[in-house]
Amino acid sequence: MTAEGCRNRREALGLYVLGQLAEPEREALEAHIEGCPGCRAEVASLEPVARLLPLADPERLDKVPAPPPDLGGRIAASIAAERRAQRRSHRLRFGLAFGGVAAAAAAALAIFVLPGRGGGEPSQRVVFESVPPGVAISASLQPKPFGTEIRMEVSGIRSGTLCRVFFRRNDGARVPVGTFRYRYGGDSDAVLSSALDLSRASAVGVRAGDRTFIQPVKSQPLTEEST
Amino acid sequence: MAAGALSRERDVREAYAAHSQELYGFALRSLRDPGLAEEAVQETFLRAWRAGERFDAEIGSLRTWLFAILRNVVIDLGRARASRPRVASGGIEPSVDPLDDALLAWQVEEALRRIGDDHRRVILETYFRGRPHAEVAAELGVPIGTVKSRVFYGLRALRNVLEEMGYDG
Repeated sequence: MTAEGCRNRREALGLYVLGQLAEPEREALEAHIEGCPGCRAEVASLEPVARLLPLADPERLDKVPAPPPDLGGRIAASIAAERRAQRRSHRLRFGLAFGGVAAAAAAALAIFVLPGRGGGEPSQRVVFESVPPGVAISASLQPKPFGTEIRMEVSGIRSGTLCRVFFRRNDGARVPVGTFRYRYGGDSDAVLSSALDLSRASAVGVRAGDRTFIQPVKSQPLTEEST
Repeated sequence: MAAGALSRERDVREAYAAHSQELYGFALRSLRDPGLAEEAVQETFLRAWRAGERFDAEIGSLRTWLFAILRNVVIDLGRARASRPRVASGGIEPSVDPLDDALLAWQVEEALRRIGDDHRRVILETYFRGRPHAEVAAELGVPIGTVKSRVFYGLRALRNVLEEMGYDG
């Protein structure tokens, strides 16, 4: 069989798999297919299409209904709304996780909450970076003659959560600073104080409920230690 | 698109532009109610977005994935509709098979839309309308051998389109 002859026969395979080839052409083609691996493979690949074809309704081909023009916008809006709701629920879940430990820890810890902010040497603001979405924690650290004043700003955690603040000293030891209870809507920050000189602190940390967050303190020139 | 294709809202918009018409068409055919069809498409994209991280472009096409989600949504909506009191309560759960057949039929029709006009025309006239090849050839002003070869290449094109659409049977 020449290549041209095979090609002509192969082009008949479409009608063949659709059952539209009349005798004697059909019989002759079948005899060819028997001896031609290429045509056999072609038949094998077209037969599934021929089986599917009866499922289609030709009358429906021209009718392509379009979705209403505003559907895309509505979907985008509902996704945006769900994303916002997710953020809120993350905050809520985070807050709930905090709640459990808070009550138990409350009694044992001393609280030094002082009003007002001192003047004098420049303060350093430390923003905690490894916090869950929706949560913000920062600490303003003010060098004082007695040591360091720590003003804590917290938001996004459950109201009533006990927060335990500590310094990590340059030598690695953890020095408790104090505790405060976060109250939602309260506009006064918690102001705590420590005898530790800021130059001796490498990081400030907060244990809020059962989560601990630590943020490094920018190194300061070492000052005369006030003892 | 990469893995996690629908995790961003912009990706959802792109997917919507590419596939919403088809998804809506299938939803409308399955549910026979424009309002429910809109609901189905909306729910499909919402579910796709929620599960966006789980979509793996290495495994399948986005289109196939969206249709798989829509299929489930249509089943859910069909059940919800069936459970409404005004519908006679025969307690018969809608079978999944008719829906799969409908989905397959939809895919074949979509594939027919996507192949070339010449190819589609001869398949429609000879196969679906059962007209004699010579008559179709005369009407189109082409030799009868051309009708034959167009059917062949048309089926090949259909096979390729169906494969692109994710049909592997």
